[in-house]
Amino acid sequence: MDFPILTLMIFIPFLGMILILLLKREQESAARFLAALFSFIPLVLSFILLARYDGSTSGLQFVEKYEWIPSLGITYFLGADGLSVPMLFLTALLCFVSVIYSFGDIKERVRQYFAFLLLLEVGMMGVFAALDFFLFYIFWEIVLVPMYFLIGIWGHGRKEYSAIKFFLYTLFGSLFMLVGILALYFTVEPHTLNMMVLIEKAPELARGFQLLAFVAFYIAFAVKVPIFPFHTWLPDAHVDAPTAVSVILAGILLKMGTYGFLRISYPMFPEGAIYFALPIGILALINIVYGALVCMAQKDLKKMIAYSSVSHMGYCMLGMAAITVTGISGCVFQMVSHGLITGALFLLVGVLYERAHTREISAFGGLWIKVPVYSGIMMLFCLGSLGLPGLSGFVSEFMVFVGAFPVFNVIVPLAVIGVVLTAAYFLRMIQAMFLGTFNTKWEGLTEISGREIFTVIPLAILMVGIGVYPSPLTNMIKATIENIVHLVTG
Amino acid sequence: MVGLNHYLVLSTILFCIGIFGVLTRRNAIGILMSIELMFNAVNINFVAFSKFVTPTDFVGQIFAIFVITIAAAEATVGLAIVLLIYRNFKGINVDNINIMKW
Amino acid sequence: MTYQLLLPQIFLFLWAILIFIIDFVRKEKKHNLAYVALLGIVITTVLVLTSQKGELFGGMFQADSFSAYFNLIFLLTGFLTIASSVEFTQRLPSNKGEYFGLILLSMVGMMFLASAGDLLTLYVSLELTTIPLFVLASYRKDEFKSTEAGLKYLILGGISSALLLFGISLIYGLTGTTFLTEVRTTLIVRFLSTGNVGPALVLGFIFMIAGFGFKLALVPFHMWVPDVYEGAPTPITAFLSVASKATGIAAFLRVFFHAFLIFQVDWVMLMAVLAALAMIIGNIIALLQTNIKRMLAYSSIAQIGYILLGVVAASSRGVSSVAFYTFVYLFANMGAFITAIAFSHKTGSDEIKDYAGLSRRSPALAAMMAVFMLSLVGIPPLAGFMGKYYLFSAAIEQRYIWLVVIAILTSVISLYYYLNVVRQMYFQTSTEESPILMGAALKTALLICVIGVLLLGIYPNIFLNFANQAAMVFHY
Repeated sequence: MDFPILTLMIFIPFLGMILILLLKREQESAARFLAALFSFIPLVLSFILLARYDGSTSGLQFVEKYEWIPSLGITYFLGADGLSVPMLFLTALLCFVSVIYSFGDIKERVRQYFAFLLLLEVGMMGVFAALDFFLFYIFWEIVLVPMYFLIGIWGHGRKEYSAIKFFLYTLFGSLFMLVGILALYFTVEPHTLNMMVLIEKAPELARGFQLLAFVAFYIAFAVKVPIFPFHTWLPDAHVDAPTAVSVILAGILLKMGTYGFLRISYPMFPEGAIYFALPIGILALINIVYGALVCMAQKDLKKMIAYSSVSHMGYCMLGMAAITVTGISGCVFQMVSHGLITGALFLLVGVLYERAHTREISAFGGLWIKVPVYSGIMMLFCLGSLGLPGLSGFVSEFMVFVGAFPVFNVIVPLAVIGVVLTAAYFLRMIQAMFLGTFNTKWEGLTEISGREIFTVIPLAILMVGIGVYPSPLTNMIKATIENIVHLVTG
Repeated sequence: MVGLNHYLVLSTILFCIGIFGVLTRRNAIGILMSIELMFNAVNINFVAFSKFVTPTDFVGQIFAIFVITIAAAEATVGLAIVLLIYRNFKGINVDNINIMKW
Repeated sequence: MTYQLLLPQIFLFLWAILIFIIDFVRKEKKHNLAYVALLGIVITTVLVLTSQKGELFGGMFQADSFSAYFNLIFLLTGFLTIASSVEFTQRLPSNKGEYFGLILLSMVGMMFLASAGDLLTLYVSLELTTIPLFVLASYRKDEFKSTEAGLKYLILGGISSALLLFGISLIYGLTGTTFLTEVRTTLIVRFLSTGNVGPALVLGFIFMIAGFGFKLALVPFHMWVPDVYEGAPTPITAFLSVASKATGIAAFLRVFFHAFLIFQVDWVMLMAVLAALAMIIGNIIALLQTNIKRMLAYSSIAQIGYILLGVVAASSRGVSSVAFYTFVYLFANMGAFITAIAFSHKTGSDEIKDYAGLSRRSPALAAMMAVFMLSLVGIPPLAGFMGKYYLFSAAIEQRYIWLVVIAILTSVISLYYYLNVVRQMYFQTSTEESPILMGAALKTALLICVIGVLLLGIYPNIFLNFANQAAMVFHY
């Protein structure tokens, strides 16, 4: 493969960032245009990626490998497999959508905002494409910086507190990963940071080492996912972040954690994965049920959706902990589907908040009468989130349950309670906000605008598409996941 | 007969007196003098070692001469700074020279 | 003997004298002597880069890749210090010229020290380094804080020299020599014949570590640092925090890695504990600071703790990482101080809360400060991360996992106070809108720091190779 498609996908947003920073402070519309352009190009490239990806093998494709810092064994090594291609696509899509959405949302310090947003895209793309540990870690950490600024400058409420909390939590986690990386580097002979070689050498690692390393990486990824009890940064960051950033946070950043598990923890430390399967399963159950219960108690719409992420990521972890092909496929499906649905839900909450300046569920009522289009779209995504058959959420949850049941035959039935609770809080919310008597206070509420519809339409199409016809995605990830399961269980 | 150990005991005692002086003296000049005492303790060490350990070459004695010279240079600068302090603070009691918390 | 090896040091010394003479002869516009001093440093740098390797005076003076590496650090720090002093000296009522001469003299001392192969050379050059710094610290003669800083620095410098000398005298008494190479061979012979090294040597180690501890501002020898850093003129503070520390590191490595590496069991654990203390105490107290100079003072105490990780590793990777991190620290820390200098010239304030709204007033300056702060935390892809990665890897290679875990936890703590500056600059607003204007010299210095931080983070190969060569000087 001569065309460096992955490098381009990572660094085109970076180029955009530089160009935006070169603009003058007043050139706000130019900044918007550049941001849209430079997030659109990676989206186009990601379509090429999807089209050219050969799902029949588990091998790496689109590989790029160059020497970088030879004295420390660091290489510039990119590649994509069935795990990364969907995530790269999701990243490109949600970033583009976020940029478009931010046109109306962001009115202050526009230039800086889009520069940070594009830098964020660089980091996320890099995480999903990097196959050298050092490179992976760099991208992993780059994400934190723009996120900190985006929440802290353009957020609402206790934004500074949320921003620093997010940064501290994730840095804390990722530094443990750094120790893990270094320990791994010195344990394997010859010393290497190449993830693929490390995966091959995994059987040579001592059991005790595998367990310790698994824990170190677990902390890093668990903070990101987030798994109980590391989840407390999530509601703060999600609620206080500007809409587009919440979308990226929920849609992609959380997936960096689960991606890390599948890319690193499971293949590299199979002993750890097997040893800790039950604890992870139990924690996943806690995530599902606890998250759903907290959602029931929320009065703030955005907070409710934030906590629903905790619950939904629990399904992801449950499928993964089972280490079956169906379970892990369900996990990847859930990663994609949660990215689409929750991303869209945050967008829609933003739409409403911009008009009403409140997110209290009880403040609304009967919106269906006043803004039918908005209400319809919102309800569609809510149904997707609660797992209505025919939409992507159902497919992924179903796969998770089917895949996990043979392994965790107590946990899975308990986890189904989570589904019921999810249905309960979403239906309660729909009823309170869209049905019932119309609250005349919102007489002046305007309908969702064309640009805003434009941002959610692709997400809706994909959600329905995957729900009705999941096999293209299945075919894409199948070989890779079979390989992972094979590596773990032998 | 006075042996190496006598010198070492003397120098150690002097050094300790010096440290004690630095820690307890409140007068800037007194502190500088205590530091000089420490340097001189070291000089005794060097000269004694030179005499007893390496009687044939004079490394230790040369070292002591260097120490004396540099201590003089340091004292010069030190006194100049004490003079500045005296002008600014109208006194050289270190308890008063404490605008910044330690 | 080829005295050519001494050429950089001799040249810089003569240049310093030249500056004193010009200062004496000329009557006005003396702050332009800064440019003369800068020229001298540039020429010396060229001389260092083209100089040969070898030794003089029977090994008292070692010109090797280690000394060349540290000489470059001293020269660059001196360059940045002088470049950022131009505006400071313009405001001085008198004695504008001496200032630069004294900095150059101090640098001569540092350059001799990096080449020291003998404890006597080491001691004399250490004093040549510090005595001009006593003067410089109290340079604003009529300002209370500055003179107080001078006195405190003088007293603690004196104590540290005395402790160091006492340690040296013990080593001399044990071995009968002050040549580091001979010290090593004598001790090894003694060790092989008697099977132990005796308490006197350990006592010597402790005294020397205490002596170096003051220079390096290790906890618990750090009490003087915040006061001196706050009171001294800011360019001198920057110089102290980088060059003076690099000197301490170079001296420590020379002595302990040249002569005492065989006996590392006797001192490595002590250094590990000191490293842990420095990281914990430095970072925690830094959280409480409201003055940027004091905050950077405590942060520099903590940074030394990280540097000690590489010393504790006591391996070639360790020394290489220490040398590399010193460069990293140079760029980020000098950058932060230069920003503080620019800021206080305009506003007269060193308080962190006055940085509010800086991203509005001077976007470029704020962005650079943010880069320096993030580099000091160790966020990739900046130099600080590369440096910490290297240090951590050296420590983990030698199985000091506990120390690395402490380093990690304290890094997370440090994020909070470094980002506090960023928070003020970007999240807070201020009614003041006027930009921070800087002179050309200050701008150049700042630009060098930013480029350094980015280059060492993204493409550090040249520096890494150089650091590796420097580390090869010692036998492990």
